[in-house]
Amino acid sequence: MSVSPTALLWARIRAAGPLRVPASTTTPDGVLRLAEPGSEEVWLLPLVPEPAGPGVLGELELAGPAVEQPNDTARVLAACLRCCWRSADGSPWPGSAAPWSAVTAVFRSLTDREPGAFHRASLAAVRRLHNAGWVLWDEPAATVRLGPRVAAWSAADLSVLRELWRRTPPPPPLPAEDSPPAEEGS
Amino acid sequence: MTGREDPTLDGLAGDAAVLRVFRQVFAVLARESGAMITEPDLVDVDEAILEAFAEAGSDGLAVEQVVAACARFPERLVTRRFEVLREYGAVTRVVDRPHERFYRAAFAPYVMLLFLRRMAAEGGQAELHQLLTLEGMSVASPQAGPDDGRASLRRLVRVFRLIANELAILAVASPVEDLRDNVQLLWGNRALISRAEELHAAVLGRWPELDRDCAGLRGALAAYGDASDAAAARLIEHAGTTRALGLLPAETWRTFARTSDAATLAGVLDGVLVDAPAPWFSPQEMTEAVEAERPVGSGRTPPPRPTADAMVPVPERDTTDDEELLRVAEEALRGRDAVPVAAAIDAVGDWLAGRRVLAALTAAHLHPDLGYELVWTDGLRVDPEAPVSWVSAGLFRRLPAGGAR
Repeated sequence: MSVSPTALLWARIRAAGPLRVPASTTTPDGVLRLAEPGSEEVWLLPLVPEPAGPGVLGELELAGPAVEQPNDTARVLAACLRCCWRSADGSPWPGSAAPWSAVTAVFRSLTDREPGAFHRASLAAVRRLHNAGWVLWDEPAATVRLGPRVAAWSAADLSVLRELWRRTPPPPPLPAEDSPPAEEGS
Repeated sequence: MTGREDPTLDGLAGDAAVLRVFRQVFAVLARESGAMITEPDLVDVDEAILEAFAEAGSDGLAVEQVVAACARFPERLVTRRFEVLREYGAVTRVVDRPHERFYRAAFAPYVMLLFLRRMAAEGGQAELHQLLTLEGMSVASPQAGPDDGRASLRRLVRVFRLIANELAILAVASPVEDLRDNVQLLWGNRALISRAEELHAAVLGRWPELDRDCAGLRGALAAYGDASDAAAARLIEHAGTTRALGLLPAETWRTFARTSDAATLAGVLDGVLVDAPAPWFSPQEMTEAVEAERPVGSGRTPPPRPTADAMVPVPERDTTDDEELLRVAEEALRGRDAVPVAAAIDAVGDWLAGRRVLAALTAAHLHPDLGYELVWTDGLRVDPEAPVSWVSAGLFRRLPAGGAR
């Protein structure tokens, strides 16, 4: 086969999003290698330079890939970020798993919906985010983790996100965990 | 000789083009004899007649032989075209005498036909290029003099002026469909102009005294460039936002696609950003989304509280007015602790000044820092002789020490 492995892998990433491959796979150019915690596998995430990144679409006033319910989806992503990014100091990846109930609690504090619409909106949004690699949603276990794509946020993006993180209401403390209840209700 | 067997639209368009050029070239001659070519088939008849003459050899042909050789066409048509050709001198008698039956054909009409076919097929571009080449050769030849150069320049000026006028009129006034049918002269005009400019430079370098004629050529070239720009702009505007593939002939696109290398083809997408087909969430969008939906009332911005800096006492008020009030009040009291309002006004003398005193006393009463008060009670003083005829009973008095009211 005469196709270069780099080109092939880029094509696969374009088609399927971030790839989860065995750790023995060589990392091609321009791809970020993210260790999957607790396993021998790594995620390969395409990392383009800033002037070629998705933010350029906005500058050129071109439409990117369309998202259904973009605002709700962004809110659910913010809620996941609030729950899974334990300390907003470091990188969001890999983060930690959070129960789906915590995410919905944060999302509920961000929105004002009647229960049925709220349920539909949150489920649809988390499925969309899961398909795009922004979060990893374990539906049977009802847990959510941040997906590998969050590692593509730049340092400047992260500072904005930290501000968002601070302003987002924290999730309710879990019964199993002894998280400090000091911020509760603030 | 083209077959007439497939009446496709392309064939029809081609015929129309031949006819149009034919009309343009021959209209001046043909209109007067009533022999204007009105059908594309007539061109083919002419061609068949000339072909028959070519095969006949040096003996020439009689009319009947021509008709027999052109049996594909109706006899009446062939004889009529033969007459037209004879009238124009394209077909002449072998020997110029009465009752001569044999005719011979001139070569010029056939060359003209070939030329017409070519022009119709290629829009006259090649002919213009050849014309430019010929003119370039003639001005470059050692025997050429300034007159030859001037004549060359004048011919070119005329050619380019005519093209520019035609294009400009088409671009401004005619329907877009006409414009599209006649835009062959648009293609490759840069090459034409640059060749003409080369020729212009050659002439100007060799005979500097021809600068006036050279200026004429420059003007004609600029007019041609402007006209073709205007026509192209109109076509592009008409094409709108769709990809104006019709602006170039389909063959040009095919040739481009076949002969270009991968880099050239990929260059088409140079301006297009291709990214992973997954949605991207920028932090700014997320923040906006969260902010937009935050329920009213749970905003986390604290109410404005005085900071440590704001604890300093407010700057001293301007106390000039206070002193004035104090002076008026003390003047009214004259050292006493209380004085009736009526007495205070009477002391001033008239109402015009008295009302100012009353206003000052009221202000002193309302002033938070001054220790005076004004107390109104029941009762009324009526005195027609006094400065104020009616005065309610009131007392202006000093507050006890401490000033708390």
